[in-house]
This record gives sequence, C-alpha cells and structure tokens, in this order.
Amino acid sequence: MKRGIFILLILCIVLTGCWNRRELNELAITLAMGLDKIDDEYVVSAQVVVPSEVSMKGGKGTTPVTLIQGRGETVYEAIRKMTKSSSRKVYPGHLRMLVISESLASEGIGHPIDLISRDWELRSDFYVAIAKDSTAEEILNVLTPLETIPANKMFNTLKVSEENWAATVGITLDQLITDLISNGKEAVLTGIIVTGKQELGSSTENVITVTPSAKIKVDDLAVFKGDKLVGWLTEDESRGYSGITNHVKNTVGTISCPGGGRASLEVLSFKSKVKGKVKNGSPEADINVKIAANVGEIECSIDISKAESVEALEKLYEKAVKVTINDSITSVQEKYETDIFGFGNAIHRSYPNEWKTLKNQWNQHFTEMKVNIKVDVKILKTGTVNNSVVESRKD
Amino acid sequence: MMQNVKINSYQFLVLVIFFTVGTSILAVPSALAIVAKHDAWISAILGTALGLLIVWLFTKIGIWFPNLTFVQMNETLFGKWIGKVFSFLFLSMTLLFTAVILYYSGSFLTTHVMPNTPMAATNILMAIILVMAVRLGLETIARSAEILTGVFFILFILLVIFIAPEIKYENIQPVFEVDIKSIAESSLTLIVVSSVNAVTLLMIFPAFINQPKSAKKSFFIGNLIGGLIIIIITFLCITVLGADLTARQEYPSYGLAKMINIGNFINRVESLMAALWIICLYYKMVLYFYASVYGLAQILNLKDYRPLTYPLGMIVVVLSLVVFPNVIDQHIFDSTTSKYFSLTIGLLLPLLMVIVYAIRRKQLKKDAKPS
Repeated sequence: MKRGIFILLILCIVLTGCWNRRELNELAITLAMGLDKIDDEYVVSAQVVVPSEVSMKGGKGTTPVTLIQGRGETVYEAIRKMTKSSSRKVYPGHLRMLVISESLASEGIGHPIDLISRDWELRSDFYVAIAKDSTAEEILNVLTPLETIPANKMFNTLKVSEENWAATVGITLDQLITDLISNGKEAVLTGIIVTGKQELGSSTENVITVTPSAKIKVDDLAVFKGDKLVGWLTEDESRGYSGITNHVKNTVGTISCPGGGRASLEVLSFKSKVKGKVKNGSPEADINVKIAANVGEIECSIDISKAESVEALEKLYEKAVKVTINDSITSVQEKYETDIFGFGNAIHRSYPNEWKTLKNQWNQHFTEMKVNIKVDVKILKTGTVNNSVVESRKD
Repeated sequence: MMQNVKINSYQFLVLVIFFTVGTSILAVPSALAIVAKHDAWISAILGTALGLLIVWLFTKIGIWFPNLTFVQMNETLFGKWIGKVFSFLFLSMTLLFTAVILYYSGSFLTTHVMPNTPMAATNILMAIILVMAVRLGLETIARSAEILTGVFFILFILLVIFIAPEIKYENIQPVFEVDIKSIAESSLTLIVVSSVNAVTLLMIFPAFINQPKSAKKSFFIGNLIGGLIIIIITFLCITVLGADLTARQEYPSYGLAKMINIGNFINRVESLMAALWIICLYYKMVLYFYASVYGLAQILNLKDYRPLTYPLGMIVVVLSLVVFPNVIDQHIFDSTTSKYFSLTIGLLLPLLMVIVYAIRRKQLKKDAKPS
C-alpha cells in the first residue's frame, strides 16, 4: 500500500501533462494561409486572429486579424521564418482557407502543397482557392463586413454560393490531392478576387461603410492540367462543370420564353450521372441529368395555369441546361485539353480493360470524345401565386 | 503447472478479437491499398478467409495437447533440446513483436498527438501498464479485456455510423480490376499480421482455458469478428478516402476519423477514436509479452514467471526505441523481414509439428498413458 502511494506520488511529477505545452495565449491561430512565389522564394502569409478583437467584450477597435509573413526557399522554412516578425508561433489547426496565387499555380501546386498534407497540425477539411489576377497576400489583406474574420467570410461565401448558385465549387485539400493523383480527372479550384480599391481593404475603415471599398468575391473556376493552372472557365462554363460533376444543390436557371422575355426556375434538386463507355475503341460519355424545379419568376407573357405551357417551360429549360453543359465541355476540350470532368474515371469504372490503353494519352482522347447529354426537367410548383401580374391583367 | 488459472471461452473470444484487430486496424488498410488499390477490401476478405484456415490448424494442434502450452508442446514433440531451440525462436518472435508494437503505439502518438514528446516517455508509460498487467496474471488481463470490449465496440460502431454519410461508392469501382495475384499478394500481409501471428495464442489455448472445446469455437469466431472489423475499416477507408489517399496515409484509419463531420457539430473527434487503436494495440502487446515471459519461464523451468517481467519489460522498452532507426525502416521491416519471420514460426513450425505428431503419434500416446 505504502509503495503504491509512493509510486503515485512519483507519477504526479512525471504526468503533469505539461510536456511541450502550448497555451492558448501562445498560439497564433491561423484561419487563412496564402502562398506566393516571388523571385524563386515562397512567401507565406498567415491571417492570424487577434483574440481580443473577436472576443465578446469587444476590443479596442483595431483590426480583428493581422497578417504575418515569411519568406523562404521552401514553404516550411517560410512558415518558420514568420516567427521573426511574430510574437507567437503559427498554429494552423483551424485553417479554413488556403489561397494560392495565380502565378504560383501556373508553375505547379504539387510541390508547395506537400507540406500542407504532410504536417500533423493541419487537417484536410479546409478549402483551397486561387487568387485570380492578384497575389494571395492581397486577398488576405482585405477586411470584410458581416464576418469579422475574412477567412470565415471566404469559407462561408464559397459554401453558400456552392449550395445556392452552383457556379463555384468548394474543393478541400483531400479532393484536390485525389484529383492531382488520379489519371482520369484533372483538378479545378475556385478563384477568389478582390474588387474595388484594394489598397483601402486592410484598414478598419473598409468595414465602417455600407459598401466596403474593397470586396472579396468568389469567382469562376480555375482549370488545371496536371498540377499547373492553364486557364479559367467563364461563369456559364463553371455552372456547366458543377452540373456535370453533380455539385449542384440548389440554383436558379434562367430561360428565354418563346414570345420574348425571360423566366427563372428555382432548381430544387439537380442530379447528374456520368457513365463512360467505349465504342469501337473510342471513348464516349453519357450524361444523365434529372432536375426538379419550381417556377421562380415569370417576366414574359406565358399562361402558366395551362399544362402545356409548363411543359414548354420544361422543354426550354432542358434545352438550356443541355447547351450550358455542352458549351462547357466543348470549350474545355478545345481550349484546355484537360479532363476536369472526370470522364476518364467514369470510363475506368465501367471499362477497366479499355482504360488501360486509353489512359496513356487520355487528354488527347478527351478532346476527341463524344458526349451524349440527356436532361429531364420536372416542374413541380409555381410558387405562391399562379400567373404573373401582367398576364392576369390581360384576362 | 506454475499457476492454476483458467479463463472461460468468452474471455478467450475477447482476447482473440483484440489480437486479430490489434495492429491491423491502423496499418493494414494502407498496406493493402498500396498493392490492391481500390480492391483492397477484397484482399481483406480473402485474407480473413485464408486466415481462418490457419486458425483451424492451430486449434487442431491445441486439441492434441489439452494441457500443454506451445513451449511444452515443442519439448514433447521434438524432444527436450530441439524443442527448447524452437521455443527460443518462438520467444524471440513474440518478444520482438512486443517491442515492435510498443514502437507502433509510441510512433502513432508522437506523429499525431504529441509530436514533441520523446518516444521514450510514451513507451515507458505504456510499458509500465504492460508489465503490470502481465504480473497480475492472465485472469486479470482477460477480465479487463472483457470490460474494454464494450468501449471498443461502442467506439467502433460510432465510427462506422458517423463516417457512413461520407461513403462514395464510385471509389471502389471498377470492382475486381486488379489482377488476382496482387490481391493474393496483399492479402498475405493481413493473414500474417492477424492470423499467422496468432500462434502466440497457443500459449493460452488450450492450457489455460476451462472448456477447450468451446474455446476452439471462440478462436474461430474471434478471428472472424476481428477479420470483419478489418474488412469494414478497409472498405470505409477505400470508399471515403479513395484508394490513392488511403495508400498515401501513414495511418489511414486515423485519417478516416478526421473526416467525421456531422452537421459541423460532431467533428474533430479523431483523438477520441484514437482510444480505439490504443486499446487494440495494448491487448495485442500484452498477449505477446505474456507469451514471451511465460514461455521463457517454462523453458528455464522456473517456478514463477513474475521475476522475469521487470527485466524483460526493460529490454522491451529499450528494444522498442532502437528497433527501427526511422519510419522507412519500419515499413521495409513490415513488408519483408517480419512477414517471413512470422511465416517461419507461425506456419512452418506448426506444420512441422503436425508432421512430427503424425510420425510419433503412437509413441506419444504410450508415453502419456502411464503417467
């Protein structure tokens, strides 16, 4: 018994749990990180939360985040060099956004993201995005209203816009790495841009006006070939991409009515299935899209109380979606020659043997492949009213 | 008999499950995915099925000598001196693997949870409870295992339920793409780790079990349940992470737990899930260590095995720190040396025993009768 107590006492000394402790006030909690490359050196920017400013009691009115930078030959070196200018060591465990500059992305992102996937402190549930037409530092240098922490604003904007508009796709690190490794699908990443007077963005004055002078905006998709950025999709092409890869949750589709004017449909569910096949040695893909929608807005003269006009709207939207998807595919086939849609993987899944020969020159085959698109739209409801105001007046 | 402890067949079942799952749950999915790609789960099924055959061999041998441990069987079958040599070989394996698992647990903790803590600290702490358990005896080990199975299965079922929404079936298609050779080759890893190494359990079965007949069933069922757990984990790794990421990860099942995110509410629970792996690693280690200590005591004809626990415990700690210079070396050891070492002791030696038994059967029976 005595011996037991003695051992317990000794254990108390050893097991205090203070080995390499890192208290909360010693950490620089990083929510966004930016990667740039200047003169063959990586410049890593970390957007670090200033805890006193985001606390419930309110701060002194300084900025809620601060930017720490480091330069180095490797990303790791650059991150560690940040300690030269920061009193706390960067803690990336809560990272939400990783922003890579466009110029670095066109050189290749395979090497710089290695550290990000290797380091134990980082998780893989954050989004990766490309700073379009600017450096990553400039993106992280803008304060945002509504969300005090700009990293959260970017993360949530990307998420909300992916769920409700569908021209953007939030890509997490895991997804990116899977795409980079895979033979049958190339990577895409969402672009982020700063609009307005960028130089004013870093001051708190940016968020005291109703319309901030500098804004961060989620933009269209960046196309990769291997790990190199080769170009950008337009907004419609981005929507086509989301449609093909089944990333659409909820969106609004606009169509032109037969007699002029426009109408919008609220898409409730958008399910697409890609099936690959090989016909006489040449690859093909079937895209099957099933859409359920409500009438969202009528700005043309059409009597939607009639069954055939609803049917006509369905047909029109089917055609519109078909065109969007088709345009997006042909433009990628012609301009970038890189299979971002994952048709290669679809063929791999259903024709594993043929894939073995196809995969060697897949991007070549991709540019020549035929894609059959089938869209099926069902309109369920017309919202809270039936005919539009203008249409009702006619009767 | 040094001590007259007996465990019941349910307790044995629990021990077999822990032994089978043991190290496999952490490392096997990636080892399988490297060779068999997205067909790794098929390898897991094949490995489990073939593993049951090997377990059948062990139970067969065990039933021939209902009162002897593996070390004593060796001496009875091969004679005193040759038997002792074989037993030493066996003990070198169990002791080495105790150290290797201690290294795994230390390496896992220092990679993911406490990167700045020296491995000596984690390993010494682990070794203290290891020695403690073995000193308290088999009964205590079995009872504590019985209690912790509850924790283990609750955590495991939670893991499966929480990760289920992330499953993407495209990740396992096309099924059966990899040729049968790669599937067989990779399943060998699982057979060796989960079943061939179970030769260690012959130190407990059937000598320390009150009903060897029903324990024989436990051996099978335990191995099967353990195998099912491995199959499920491998399947989840492949469907959730994808074959490429699984193969890339050092500890894929930990990566799996990281993916858990239910409505931004239940997330970041991987450290809780780490308890799962630590429980498994611990019991596998205890069983190896128990076999080493008890076996050595029997070879040396000691009255009690307990005096050996401290010195061997210290050896194991030191061995665990020097056994691999780095992680790469551990991977090479796992995929080459350890496999053949296990196969020699866990498969060739038992087969040799079967042959010798067939030849000497009559004489052995005659010897057994007068006494």
